Amino acid sequence: MSTISSLRSSVDDLREADRTRMMLFALDNLIWPILLVTFVLFSLLLPEIFTQYRNIRFLLYTSAGLGAITLAEGICLISGNFDLSVGSVAGFSAMAAALFLTEWFPGMPGVAGIAVLLLVGGSIGLLNGVSIAKFGVNPFLQTLSTLIIFEGGILVLSTQSVYGLPASYLWIGGEDIDLPLFRPIPLAIFAMFALFLGMWFILTKTRFGRAVYAVGGDEDSAAEAGIDTNRVVILTFVISGVLSAIGGLLLTGFNGGATPTLGTSQLFPAFTAAVIGGISLFGGRGNVLNSLGGVLLLGTIGAGLVMLNIDPQIIQTVNGIVLFAAILLYTFVQRYRERLLSDL
Amino acid sequence: MTDDGPARIEVRNLQKRFGTVEALSDVNLELRDNEILGLVGDNGAGKSTLIRTLVGLHQPDEGEILIDGKPVTIDGPKHARKLGIGTVYQDLALVDQLSVAENMFLGRNPVKKLGGILPVIDTERMQEEAERILSERLDIHLDPETPVEYLSGGERQAIAIGRALVSDPDIVFLDEPTSALSKAAVDHVERLVEELQNTGHTIVIIDHNLEEVLSMTDRIAVLFQGRVVDVVDSDEVTRDAIVAMMVSGQPMGATESVGESDSASSPTA
Ligand SMILES: Nc1ncnc2c1ncn2[C@@H]1O[C@H](COP(=O)(O)OP(=O)(O)OP(=O)(O)O)[C@@H](O)[C@H]1O
Ligand SMILES: [Mg+2]
Repeated sequence: MSTISSLRSSVDDLREADRTRMMLFALDNLIWPILLVTFVLFSLLLPEIFTQYRNIRFLLYTSAGLGAITLAEGICLISGNFDLSVGSVAGFSAMAAALFLTEWFPGMPGVAGIAVLLLVGGSIGLLNGVSIAKFGVNPFLQTLSTLIIFEGGILVLSTQSVYGLPASYLWIGGEDIDLPLFRPIPLAIFAMFALFLGMWFILTKTRFGRAVYAVGGDEDSAAEAGIDTNRVVILTFVISGVLSAIGGLLLTGFNGGATPTLGTSQLFPAFTAAVIGGISLFGGRGNVLNSLGGVLLLGTIGAGLVMLNIDPQIIQTVNGIVLFAAILLYTFVQRYRERLLSDL
Repeated sequence: MTDDGPARIEVRNLQKRFGTVEALSDVNLELRDNEILGLVGDNGAGKSTLIRTLVGLHQPDEGEILIDGKPVTIDGPKHARKLGIGTVYQDLALVDQLSVAENMFLGRNPVKKLGGILPVIDTERMQEEAERILSERLDIHLDPETPVEYLSGGERQAIAIGRALVSDPDIVFLDEPTSALSKAAVDHVERLVEELQNTGHTIVIIDHNLEEVLSMTDRIAVLFQGRVVDVVDSDEVTRDAIVAMMVSGQPMGATESVGESDSASSPTA
């Protein structure tokens, strides 16, 4: 009798554990149902208009640059770090590449400009990474100083927008791609999806990616397990710099030229999108694909409020409220997770 | 007295300071081939620091480390692993968010080439291996995909032990491997250690349970405030003699001569 009851209780335990896991899975991926509900809500408030091709195109297109910059922030957060400089790196590398193509070496092909852009972004990331990993500078202070330096640097390079860039440079951020049987879709949207999938692949399937999670989860444990944590942190910041620069490239294409303020306003939305997508500020946790959900949620809310003719100034406040709600939600989820885990 | 051939590992005049704390001072110690050496000492005696220095997590301030008679500089755990050392750390060194299998293969995940070029982690192989090592070596059956934060203290410790064996080391360092284990699980680890010795491994084990140490080891090194007090054969020493060395910092002969004053002072220690 006792064996039967112990068997039954262990079966119950198993079910309980499965339920707990399913619950945690649902909580970890909460962004998608939230996005869906938000989208449906705006579709009801704006019948016919909100679900039009034009609106969805706009929503996705305006998300592309932010998407790349969100990834840049996301990978730093997963590694247990912090990057305040993503927006200014996007702006600075975009401005440097634009001047390279128009003033410093006019006539160079667009791809050379892209190479310069990636090099500038990667180098600033390298600077951040080396200071933080090798010299032990606090990531907040380090990236705050690069934020200030390169934000100022943009204006040193140029106080005016730079237009007249080669079409091949603007192509990826600005051109549409003609699809058979469908209306043209901006290339930038495909670029955004490709970047998210690519980063998801790197972070989940490669040694480096798992090392990023390990370092973010517990840096000492990672070091004890034989991971070169300095190398991982430096590489993370280099990738962050490159992704920020790609964000700058996409925004340049969207705007048709490099504007001095192109990246400036991107830091907070990128941060917000990463966090509402469930990337933990404490490192080691989060799925970059869900941060795409965060980007799209901000895009949906932004587009919806614009179409409802709400003062654009209010959008930022709304974004702030969304971030606040997300932080509350994830704090609750984290507590709930701890409780569930302690019950196991 | 000494065995023929050089020691598997020898440390000479090893010194390690943390600020003003002298965690290791002038440590001389030999790890003989195929022996089980116990390291005992009070909290803060320097046991973990010695292990961490031997796997390159700390660089010694002075002194040298010889492996098979050759001086080496060990740059880190990865290098130690290449030299044939597997380690169970006192803090277990697990990453909560990662799975059982990922933790066991942390820093050394097996990879396969996707499409012949792209190196990706061979998750299937990793999970099979993890499951196999845990069940064969430790008789514990866990889903390798479970994040370790879902596991009990004993299960976590088993994973840390399993991880030390993943690289098939010749030398195994165990820093308090049984502190979170039930009696049955401790017995299991004891059998594992014995089996490791029988299959030619050399082992260092740190454990505060002196009965366990006495029954498992061949020799015991007693540390006191960063110094090696004495190294004794396990079957020629009593539990009380070890305790006396641990609290007085005096080697075995000396404790007897100052026995009276020592036993008077030890209750307050
Ligand atoms: N990374 C470090 N930084 C500063 N001090 C340290 C560090 N590691 C160890 N110490 C100090 O060195 C001394 C020895 O510590 P160690 O961890 O080696 O002791 P232990 O013998 O392993 O003790 P326990 O039985 O409690 O594990 C202690 O005084 C400790 O505070
Ligand atoms: Mg210790």
